[in-house]
Amino acid sequence: MTLVRVEDATFSYPDGTRALDGVTLEITRGEFVALIGQNGSGKTTLSKCLAGLLRPTRGRVVVDGIDTASKGVMKDLVRRIGYVFQNPDHQLFNARVYDEIGYGPKNLGVPEAERDAIIREVAAVTGLHPDLFGEHPFFLSKGLRQRVAIAATLAVRPQVIVVDEPTTGQDYRQSIDVMDFLVRLRVERGHTIVIVTHEMPIVAAYAERVVALRGGRILMDGAAREVFSRPDVLAETFVKPPQATRLAHAWARNGVRGDALTVDELVDAMRAALAARDGPPAGRLEAGAAHPPQEAGDV
Amino acid sequence: MNPAVEVDRLSWTYHLAARPAVCDISLTIPAGEFTLIAGPNEAGKTTLAMAIKGLIPHSFPGRRAGVVRVFGEEVQRKEAALLAKQVGYVFSDPEAQFTSLTVEEEILFGLENIGVPESEIEHRIRRASELTMISDLLDKPPYDISGGQKQRVAIASVLAMDPEILILDEPTSMVDPLGKDLIVEICAELRRRRRLTLIVIEHNLEAFAALADRIVLIRGGRIERAAAPREFLEDPEFLERSGVYPPQVTQVFARLRAHGLYRGPLPLTDEEGIRAGDALLRGAGA
Repeated sequence: MTLVRVEDATFSYPDGTRALDGVTLEITRGEFVALIGQNGSGKTTLSKCLAGLLRPTRGRVVVDGIDTASKGVMKDLVRRIGYVFQNPDHQLFNARVYDEIGYGPKNLGVPEAERDAIIREVAAVTGLHPDLFGEHPFFLSKGLRQRVAIAATLAVRPQVIVVDEPTTGQDYRQSIDVMDFLVRLRVERGHTIVIVTHEMPIVAAYAERVVALRGGRILMDGAAREVFSRPDVLAETFVKPPQATRLAHAWARNGVRGDALTVDELVDAMRAALAARDGPPAGRLEAGAAHPPQEAGDV
Repeated sequence: MNPAVEVDRLSWTYHLAARPAVCDISLTIPAGEFTLIAGPNEAGKTTLAMAIKGLIPHSFPGRRAGVVRVFGEEVQRKEAALLAKQVGYVFSDPEAQFTSLTVEEEILFGLENIGVPESEIEHRIRRASELTMISDLLDKPPYDISGGQKQRVAIASVLAMDPEILILDEPTSMVDPLGKDLIVEICAELRRRRRLTLIVIEHNLEAFAALADRIVLIRGGRIERAAAPREFLEDPEFLERSGVYPPQVTQVFARLRAHGLYRGPLPLTDEEGIRAGDALLRGAGA
């Protein structure tokens, strides 16, 4: 079921820069979508249009039946789609973590007792211990500040969560933590997730669908596997597929499945290709057989 | 000749901090080498780099043990102006260090500060901006350019001062893919020229590992491993456990090796990996 519909959206900034140029896109409930592309490709502008932070100068964005450009819809919109900024400091402004998380529900007039329950619940979901409630968000680590920002976004229970650059400035472990967390939001709680990112290994490992933009237009839109199997097209927006995919692509001429997205997939593809080359016919393969002897020359 | 950097049993605890940010670190960096410093966030990487730059202890309160020597002389005994000239430092958020209205003035500012003669200035600006590929940006405001361009402007303004040691602190963390490639290219060129000692703090081993002479893993304020790239990456699982993501090509061949399917050295780059894989698949490389 379509949850977000972008119809021929164009967006020009006041200085005349056309950041989006006739983009049409539908996002289905429960999808995990990555927007990728070079700086200036329009991906951040598109993400902000999705969340109603920017309104297209032509065309429309409709979220769960609500046109983001209609008057007086912000309250309804924030319950449907939430935006987490790349720099959490752009959205955190309360002096206590507790108030930061509760700000959205308070604004929507949620009564105090109910609000407290929501704050505790989203804090638990985002891994923020109640000991942190009295802390000033400013003094937390970047990873924790981002969690506070996500918690504050979740507190109004939007169906769609848009996260700009979830892993920028995070190290390897923190990146996995935040991505696993977004996956859990989708799998366990049914949220639709849209991320904007430059990190292709992250995209390959987590996103089902990839929308690549260039010059304000959609260059490619499809399953991660399809999009990354076209390095020639991706190069137009200066994006390279992850290294594992690049290797798979190169080895395809030697019988390796050329569309591996991750290290795991590539190792499996490599083992399958080597087994097909070296191994005895499938019917004669004995359990526990030693590794087949190396062939000397080309097979 | 003295090494560019000698860190001798350095420990540093920031004022009011419960634990030391770096703890008993010893590290010697020969002049002209490219050292890559990797490790999780908050591991002490920036603290170590700031100690080499003399920002610690000069600009931060805290408790120190051990010494840092730059070209044989203790950092805290060095004249501030000399140290500023010898060691260039580019922060991961370059905007924080911009003060001027145009890119050219930004580069000029540092040169005037260290008293470069006027006759040399134009030449220095041209040389630094060509190397960092920003010649077409000189009349632009430094705020009004992309993240990758800002990073390159910051590198240019430090390079123009002709430092003997250049420290880049996460130069690609705020930068898009094209911008990353250009910064990697600049580092490769600096390494090729071997005129300065390059210290780069980076999470992105895929792009930088093969360029480095040595990679240092810092975790919990200590050096956990320091070795030439191939040796450093020998055990990708250990690195992952330590919070560092090894290049995927190295991971793939380490796993093939664990399966008994590969016996050669672990490749570091796309090219090496493709060659090793081709040989393996044709039955010649195992």
